Amino acid sequence: MGSRGTNLLLSRASRIKSKLQSVLEAKFLEVEDVSYQHAGHAAVKDNANETHFNVKVVSGKFDGQNLVKRHRMVYDALADELESGLHALSIVAKTPKEAGLN
Amino acid sequence: MAAMNLSSSTHTASSSTFRLLSASRTYTSPKSHLCFHSTHIKNRSFFSFPSSISHKPNHTTKNRRSHLSLVVSALGKLSDTESVPVPPESDAVSAVFPPASGVYAVYDKNGDMQFVGLSRNIQSSILYHQKSVPELCASIKVGVVDNPDRSALTQAWKSWMEEHIEAAGKVPPGNETGNTTWVRQAPKKKADLRITPGRNVQLTVPLEELIDRMVKENKVVAFIKGSRTAPQCGFSQRVVGILESEGVDYESVDVLDEEHNGGLRETLKKYSNWPTFPQVFVNGELVGGCDILSSMHETGELSGLFKK
Repeated sequence: MGSRGTNLLLSRASRIKSKLQSVLEAKFLEVEDVSYQHAGHAAVKDNANETHFNVKVVSGKFDGQNLVKRHRMVYDALADELESGLHALSIVAKTPKEAGLN
Repeated sequence: MAAMNLSSSTHTASSSTFRLLSASRTYTSPKSHLCFHSTHIKNRSFFSFPSSISHKPNHTTKNRRSHLSLVVSALGKLSDTESVPVPPESDAVSAVFPPASGVYAVYDKNGDMQFVGLSRNIQSSILYHQKSVPELCASIKVGVVDNPDRSALTQAWKSWMEEHIEAAGKVPPGNETGNTTWVRQAPKKKADLRITPGRNVQLTVPLEELIDRMVKENKVVAFIKGSRTAPQCGFSQRVVGILESEGVDYESVDVLDEEHNGGLRETLKKYSNWPTFPQVFVNGELVGGCDILSSMHETGELSGLFKK
């Protein structure tokens, strides 16, 4: 744990959460660390912590955007994380209307 | 459970034939078959249909029981089971034979038994046989096995085989060792596409351009981790599964294959502006990864896209 430097301060899950919250102004946001399901997975190297997450996000910014664009918006917001070992995201991206929040 | 998997479209397709054929022959529609099972388990000798899904008035009830046993009878002796002609259209086959577990015996037009099979979905097996060897599928006897664990199914199959061998003095030709007429062939898997013939080949065109050509020249291309026959990642596996079940002709590229596709992962991420794998392209456009493909598969959008 101690060797993870900056990660000491915040878990990746909470960084993902705050980044998505601020960039997408999420109306609903759920981030779940499912890395344990992928331990020992071919592409996950030694540091198998915090590599796989499920993200559910509802944002008005998804209005009028197709799924590819919505996912790109999520990926763009998390570019730093993807550079630093975040390996896979399972994304559910809905507009408030689709999620029945309006 | 097999009956539950039946798609609603099959059911609608078969219900019209159901009515049409029920004048001369009886069988259950997939839906009523489900109900049949639940009542049947409680009482092996008698069952009834909820009137809401019965297509015929009650006066046929007496006949129905004996006729129905043609098709969905619980396992009895082979000789006591009546054979049912196989209708030529697959819709009608679906209406006549239940998607249930059990054994079935196939007879040719001379009434000679060709094959005894066991199946977790008799309907699907018969559809397959009818497609691959229609000339050998004139009529079929069916014995449904309730609570079909492996040993119950095998036992049922054995009892029919033994009864036939005793009566006919020989094994049905389709069950002879080495006969593969009735074996379901696994769909032939294509080879994965490769960007280069090997590690030491100098590229004359930028990798990006090769990717561009690859996705534009092929209708559907899936960039996956591992090969299509053995995906190395659950998401890639799911994507392969979806493409297989859509029945679409697709190409696959193994992004983990450093020997032939060295550098592909990084270049592809930039090319598609997408940071993860798998990635699926249709008509040169990125459709998305596993999540998007799954959701489009569920809504039916995906099959629409493949038709374009």
